[in-house]
Amino acid sequence: MRTEALASDEKRMNLGVVPPAGGPPLSSVAQEKRFTCVDRQITDEQVCILTFDRPNSSANVFDRETLHELDGHLDFIADSTELKGVVLTSAKNSIFIAGADLHALAGASADDLASLIELGQSVFSRVAALNIPTAAAIHGACVGGGFELCLACDSRVASPDRATKIGLPETQLGILPAWGGSTRLPRLIGLPRALDVILGGKTLAAKQALKYGMVDDLVPRERLVEFACRKILTQRSELRRRRHGFKHWATNNRLFAMALSLRIESRLLKKTRGHYPAVFKALEVVTRGLSRPPAESLALEREAMLELARTEECHNLIRIFFMQERARKRSYILGPTPAVAKPVDRTAVIGAGVMGAGIAQWLSSRGLPVILRDVNAEQVAKGMAGVAQLYQEGVKRHLVTKLEARAGLDHIFPSPAEAPLRNVDLIIEAAVEKMDLKKKIFQELGELAGPNTVLATNTSALSVSEIAASTKSPERVVGIHFFNPVHRMQLVEVVVARQASSGTVQRAVRFVQQIGKLPVVVKDSPGFLVNRILMPYLIEAGHLFEAGASVEDIDAAMLDFGMPMGPLRLLDEVGVDVAHHVAGELEVKFSDRMQTPRVLAQMLKAGLLGRKSERGFYLYNSKTPEVNSGLSLFQEKDWARNFPREELQKRMALLMVNEAARCLEEELVTEPSDVDFAMIMGTGFAPFRGGPLRHADSRGVEKVVGEMKRLVDSGGAYFAPCALLQRMADDGGRFYADKGHQ
Amino acid sequence: MGADLAQLGADELGRIAVNALLTRTGLDPSRIDEVIFGCVGQPVDAANVARVIALRGGIPEHVPAVTVHRNCASGCEALTQAYEKMVAGRGSVFVVGGTESMSQIPLLFRQSAAIKFAALAKAKSLGQKLRAIAGFRPPDFGPRVGLQLGLTDPVCGLNMGETAEVLAREFGVTRAEQDEFALESHRRAVAAREKLAEEICPVYASGGLVSHDNGPRANQTLEALARLKPVFDRKTGTVTAGNASQITDGAVALLVMSESKVNELGFASLGYLAGYSYAGCDPARMGLGPVFAIAKAELQTGLTPRDADLIEINEAFAAQVLAVLKAMESEKFARKVLRRDTSPGAVPREKLNVNGGAIALGHPVGATGARLVLTSLKELKRRKAKRALVSLCVGGGQGAALWLEAL
Repeated sequence: MRTEALASDEKRMNLGVVPPAGGPPLSSVAQEKRFTCVDRQITDEQVCILTFDRPNSSANVFDRETLHELDGHLDFIADSTELKGVVLTSAKNSIFIAGADLHALAGASADDLASLIELGQSVFSRVAALNIPTAAAIHGACVGGGFELCLACDSRVASPDRATKIGLPETQLGILPAWGGSTRLPRLIGLPRALDVILGGKTLAAKQALKYGMVDDLVPRERLVEFACRKILTQRSELRRRRHGFKHWATNNRLFAMALSLRIESRLLKKTRGHYPAVFKALEVVTRGLSRPPAESLALEREAMLELARTEECHNLIRIFFMQERARKRSYILGPTPAVAKPVDRTAVIGAGVMGAGIAQWLSSRGLPVILRDVNAEQVAKGMAGVAQLYQEGVKRHLVTKLEARAGLDHIFPSPAEAPLRNVDLIIEAAVEKMDLKKKIFQELGELAGPNTVLATNTSALSVSEIAASTKSPERVVGIHFFNPVHRMQLVEVVVARQASSGTVQRAVRFVQQIGKLPVVVKDSPGFLVNRILMPYLIEAGHLFEAGASVEDIDAAMLDFGMPMGPLRLLDEVGVDVAHHVAGELEVKFSDRMQTPRVLAQMLKAGLLGRKSERGFYLYNSKTPEVNSGLSLFQEKDWARNFPREELQKRMALLMVNEAARCLEEELVTEPSDVDFAMIMGTGFAPFRGGPLRHADSRGVEKVVGEMKRLVDSGGAYFAPCALLQRMADDGGRFYADKGHQ
Repeated sequence: MGADLAQLGADELGRIAVNALLTRTGLDPSRIDEVIFGCVGQPVDAANVARVIALRGGIPEHVPAVTVHRNCASGCEALTQAYEKMVAGRGSVFVVGGTESMSQIPLLFRQSAAIKFAALAKAKSLGQKLRAIAGFRPPDFGPRVGLQLGLTDPVCGLNMGETAEVLAREFGVTRAEQDEFALESHRRAVAAREKLAEEICPVYASGGLVSHDNGPRANQTLEALARLKPVFDRKTGTVTAGNASQITDGAVALLVMSESKVNELGFASLGYLAGYSYAGCDPARMGLGPVFAIAKAELQTGLTPRDADLIEINEAFAAQVLAVLKAMESEKFARKVLRRDTSPGAVPREKLNVNGGAIALGHPVGATGARLVLTSLKELKRRKAKRALVSLCVGGGQGAALWLEAL
């Protein structure tokens, strides 16, 4: 069979057409039944092409069977005396090989895991040891184990398409590349860059992968295999020489590795506070393995992997990965519902403030036209300036090209006056947080919008049901609550008002997925989910401060816990005025346990609004924020003055656990994982702890409840555990049935 | 020129106008049959600028777009072509308009330099390259000003301002008359600021906001105008920067539909195009174009200036408009030049350019025709009047005349 014919076959497969039967010549016919995930073809020029094509799936993954299958092909290749080279490729549209099957990995026992790692290592080592040249022709996601296989090849060529992403994200899952990635990447691209990729758990675009040396050439997708074949046939000797090359002698030596590792370790310690063992382990394996023979380095990988896979951190991080996958695809069905929610083509955002501009920018960057409306041209101009600035930052950080940024801005239709909204599919109101104003807007939107338009509010604290009641058709009103800054925060709360129709909610969920955000569906209730759980924590931070605890201690306590930012610093970022408003709204409903700390009102009065006024709990006029010592004026009590950090941490964390349990108890969401997922994605709640409810499970609900009760006894009535927690403590219950993975 | 909008190319200006048009009308852009834009100095980096405007303006890619060029009447040409296509059954919904960035019309290298650059590009060895470089002479680098070239008639060799001087001489239009006319243009434009604001969409450029026209001068005086030096005939001339149109940047977008489509889609129209004519004349006297075009339109429509409630004659130059006014009522001109027995009819000053003209508001050449249509339809509506006549002189020796009627 000729290469060209093969390439066109591939194309047909990509279009979803089944390749004609009975075609492939040579031995592959006989083996077709046994080999299901990897197809083998031999070109006229004696290049063996192995095409990964997992049946009934849009992705290729590595599980035990696939590895065995690949091993079988390697037997054939090793036995052949004719073959001149091997090209590995994939028949999938957007995925080369997405790495190891995480489900298999997560469910494996220690012995299973050990044998799986060993199997992968030995198969990939066989690829590396073949005495004919090998090349990977990469189109689509090539990550983790998929890229580790490519690393075992002599050459890698990739398509420049957007779908092509190359990297080793293992450390983000609490593990490390253990199928040779930690051993082979530094040898290929040098230690500093390899550490950058492995420790950062990075996945790079094709162009950047080329720059890093992770691939050798970028070639159009349709010509990948042809090019790889030619390369193998024409550059045999270069490829062979490279196998024994010693290119990175300046960085890949023991001395340099030691010095670099020390520097990186101290930086990692500062950043992670020691919470993420995988990065430290990976650093150790990569730097130690570098100066040893590959076989020893692989053994180090194996040991480290088995050790890491046992950790709670790893389990929690893998769970988050699954939760993200689920949020991306999950459909939300509530009662009878139209078959498929219509996708949203045209949008409008009412209000061009920080949130409105942020939402408009995000929607426009996803290719959606957005009408951005405010009351006058000056307000719109501020919003447009905000959008333009976000795009400029994106260009500066190489997230978008100049042309893409311009196209994004072109997608915004500024409107300084009332505009017809009949042809708009979804409108998001992001006006000032005043109920009267919102009611007025929704009343008007009900008239202006077409009959099928979804009317959404981005309110963070007001009742969506009450807003809905102001329109003629409340069933199409829904909350779509973005977090600030919109372009960074992946979570979006879809808030279900009392009157909302199932079709509306489903469409809102689809929309959130369509724009690449992660939805969590929440019943309408004060503060919804994330702010509701976060508020008692922030309030407690305020109370502790008033009672004499220092800003440094309070924030450090929670950084130690694993939060990305201390609570007082977060108050500054959110804005003291906004926090005061939200706390006020929640206090009305939950006065038994949420009393807005006086210090917020005092700061508001003094104009200390946080970051936006450059003064809050911290001062922001210098390069690194400094604690605002002037605030000690507001520390009127002293009962917390001598609290150790552990005590501060315990109090603040317990309040989040308690409120999270209450949200579940009130059925704001359906599952504990909804709560945990929302808190991790919405607030950065220590990911390795798996969320507040998972955290309670790991500490033991009984123990957690006991601690709450002790705090109640010492005068903190608001620590009283909710009924659900109490019941669970009595019955020895847990939030999650599983103890290990899943 | 060189002011608030100078950083924006003709494609960007046109995009902003189309963007605002779609926002204000709420039209589903996939319903558009074609986009037609007039532009005189098309940006070199946006060939067929209408297509660039359409795509960037949010009009789906299946909708075709064409750029048209009839010099100063390009904006009218876009409109009348839409009409002609409609009549020919080639569509019923059009976005038309005009765009011009006079600020961004480039400086050009001379042909002598271009040849040497080409030789340099071909040179391979260092020696060849050095030899190619050595071939350049200082005069090669003297730029040719694109704007100036564009405003010079290639047939008669006169600059547009010089053609205005020809009319001033032949029709005896004095400097004082011209300055007086110019001052009135500013006065009317300043008085109409609020009204004209309805036609202006804000421009949000580089973090700022441009929401007002910077052309009309409230403090313009006859004395100030009198102090300006003649530009085109330094010694005896009368045409100055003050009594000629301002060279400016701008764009206009209009939505036009067949009557049945307007009803089907539930829009309310401003008015309709009742008739139009383009006519040719002596390129050296291109300023008289309106007289020829209005006379020709009369043959088709039977309408004379007496039938108009409002008349717009584009103020390319005060001298040129005043010459047109004289020619319009001259029996002699009618017999000798137009070869008809009666004059086309006097144009009363109170009906003419009631909200000021290009002397105050500027003349982004490709856009002006479409702007005059919009301005006069809006004014007809305000006055609850019936008919407007829009006319422009066209470089190269042409005139355009459009009859518009309010609904």
